[in-house]
Amino acid sequence: MNTDKMLEIIGLNKYFGPTHANKNLSFSVKKGEIKGLIGENGSGKSTLISQIAGLYSSDSGQMLLDGKPYSPGSPIDANNRGISIVMQELGVIGSLPAGVNVFLGRTKQFTKNGVVSLKALNKAAAEQFEKWDLPKVPLSKLTDGMMIETRKIIELARALSVDPRLLLLDEITQSLSMNNRNKLYELINKLKAMGRSVIVITHDVEELIRITDTITVLRDGEVVGDVVSAETTPDEIKHMMVGREISGDYYRADTTPEYADKVVLSVRDLTVPGEIENVSFDVHESEILGFCGLSDSGIHSVGKAVYGLIKPSGGSIHLKSKDLMIKSASKALRNNMAYVPKDRDNEALMIRASIHDNFVLPSLTELQGKVGYLSPAKLKKMAQDMTDKLSVKCTDIYQTIDALSGGNKQKVNLGRWLAKDIKLLILDCPTRGVDVGVKAYIYFLMKEAKNNGVATILISDELTEVLGMSDRLIVMKDGAVADVIRRDEDFTEQSVIRVMI
Amino acid sequence: MRLIQSKQNPPQEKHQNQAVFALLLIAVIVVISVIFNAVSGGKFLDGTNVKIIISHIVWPTFVAWGFCFLFACGYTDLSVGAILVLGSFATTILGSWLGYPGVILGGLIVGILLTFLNFNIFAFTKIPSWIAGISLAMIYEAVAVFFKVNKTTETLIYTEMSKSLRYLGNLPWSVIILAVGLLIAYIIYNKTTVGLNIRALGGNKDVAKALGINITKTLLMVGLICGLFIGIAAIIQQSIAGRTLVKTGLTSINMVFQPLAIVLLAQVLQKRLNIIIAVPLCSIIIFAIFNLMTIMGVPSGTLQEAFLGAFLIAFGIIGQRGYKGVVK
Repeated sequence: MNTDKMLEIIGLNKYFGPTHANKNLSFSVKKGEIKGLIGENGSGKSTLISQIAGLYSSDSGQMLLDGKPYSPGSPIDANNRGISIVMQELGVIGSLPAGVNVFLGRTKQFTKNGVVSLKALNKAAAEQFEKWDLPKVPLSKLTDGMMIETRKIIELARALSVDPRLLLLDEITQSLSMNNRNKLYELINKLKAMGRSVIVITHDVEELIRITDTITVLRDGEVVGDVVSAETTPDEIKHMMVGREISGDYYRADTTPEYADKVVLSVRDLTVPGEIENVSFDVHESEILGFCGLSDSGIHSVGKAVYGLIKPSGGSIHLKSKDLMIKSASKALRNNMAYVPKDRDNEALMIRASIHDNFVLPSLTELQGKVGYLSPAKLKKMAQDMTDKLSVKCTDIYQTIDALSGGNKQKVNLGRWLAKDIKLLILDCPTRGVDVGVKAYIYFLMKEAKNNGVATILISDELTEVLGMSDRLIVMKDGAVADVIRRDEDFTEQSVIRVMI
Repeated sequence: MRLIQSKQNPPQEKHQNQAVFALLLIAVIVVISVIFNAVSGGKFLDGTNVKIIISHIVWPTFVAWGFCFLFACGYTDLSVGAILVLGSFATTILGSWLGYPGVILGGLIVGILLTFLNFNIFAFTKIPSWIAGISLAMIYEAVAVFFKVNKTTETLIYTEMSKSLRYLGNLPWSVIILAVGLLIAYIIYNKTTVGLNIRALGGNKDVAKALGINITKTLLMVGLICGLFIGIAAIIQQSIAGRTLVKTGLTSINMVFQPLAIVLLAQVLQKRLNIIIAVPLCSIIIFAIFNLMTIMGVPSGTLQEAFLGAFLIAFGIIGQRGYKGVVK
């Protein structure tokens, strides 16, 4: 037995009804190793680490931890063995304070005579943030309404609070802004230096190669590759993931901004107290206008305010194509605007409803007959056509959304708007948590929308994405516009980062 | 050392803010009382009337605390009114055999056992709780009819408690029980593992499960805790009123209308004041309004309830102002 191996997985299988999610999976993680796990959406990555973390049981196969059989009955059991996880879609309890969320399920350690000492709990939570050098979070504040990034950091603190020997990170980097991603990389290095191991799942291939020691590639629930990160290339990984070459036109190939003169939306002096201040810009027909910035730059608030989801204290949002002011989301929706939020599970999709319902709902007005009758056959056809067109991996159109992988959820989320006659599309982190194949498809859809004259506001935490897709890029800092860079100017990561920081 | 706790929201400051808001609310209640007194020609703050208001807020407050735990875990139970009725019957029946121990045991046993039974049904059958609750309410009402003490009509049933067993409904005992109840509810809801787990369950069942919280055990604990408060409410209710009336056909639900209004009001205040503390204050507000309307001759059963409904909507609108429910 190789004692260097902290975790060894031998022939692991997992079934969900008729679906064989993991097929005879075998791989291992050494002490102090940073292991990358990558694969298309639905390839079995999240299932595998859920099995390791005690969230799912295994149907057959064996796991060995330090050479001894390991079969966690619950996440607490896994925690007790030194394994913790930060899940992509799990989250925190909004009705409880951040500090309590860090130790939820383990509050007994702060209990004396049946009473939990919140003071001691918050102190211990603060110590965890201190110990791992995590960004500040108001610990006694309810997590309801906190930014997705802040909530993810609370989840990270929760996972670290068990002092893990093996930390499992499921696509969390895409919830973080650039500065906090760097903090995460530092944390991973710190864990490695301490002899701890980390399994990282991310769809950012370049990032994965940069931060890991080895990479295991999954396809359709099977291991199809195991490589040393320093000896591989993004193209090799992508090829292993999808089983074919990914074509070169992932992002836009052109270097000049191309859009019409006609202004679709004009925003002037938009102010949301504490979030954005005097933000002004125009977005034109066929233009992709990018927004980027650090975590408190206010980029996400711009999207919400423009769509009328948060009420600004000042400024105007003029939909020039219709010559009207946008003051509410319903007005925006009625006038051919669409918004795809960053937090698709909580803000965009009806997570317990079917693919069918999610596809047809935004288009009911277009689908209804003369007297308002909705033909079930017509609705079914529309949902089926969109499912086929977007290649949504599902059992049928009546499958609930929560059973889909992140990438397939996003296909539904984005596709249902593209089925409508949209003139202005606001996309907030549209490729968060989706694999390279789906990513390429989303970029294709964006390019197609651009060619059809749709104006797009693209808000993203990923610099490569906004640089790859935008005609012009607005860099925000501390809630204000710091610079506007055109595609034919100094359109590089370095120049943008200089402005951001 | 880096300070992790946000400066704008340290725990001590949060508690101070809550205390200030509670004091502010008490001040508002005092001002409203003075206005009500003026409107009613001095009848509202008359000593006897104040005693009536205080006595009558106790049992609905206990039911409202029970509801706090029920709603916190994301469940609804419409059989609470029927359990109250059965609990009241049990206090009378056991009280007549065993005296005060029987009064107390009768309410507690029925309250805890039946609510615990309900949560077993919710937890193991997976039937939506509001549907199961209605079915259980019908069964409990039928049981109440079966255990009738006296019968005045075919469907109207009542039990009558001996005056010598009704001291728990009198001042100062009822207020002492209220104070103890407040302390217990506050500690369980805010400062115990089970309280935090209950709130986690209502917040996000999947997350709670992933964090190792035993969902079934937590649900059963809600049944016990909620049952405890409903049992105490039954004791106080029967001690104050002396008798309980019930008809079949889900009319027991009427009994929880006012406690429900109290919880809804307290939920509106929840952003600024702990819901357990908000409950008794909201009880005072609601009963003060009902009392004034009774003094002013507003007919109950129609206009009083309509006014309360309108008041709740208005309060809700005010309470939701400036609330940011959007996740960035």
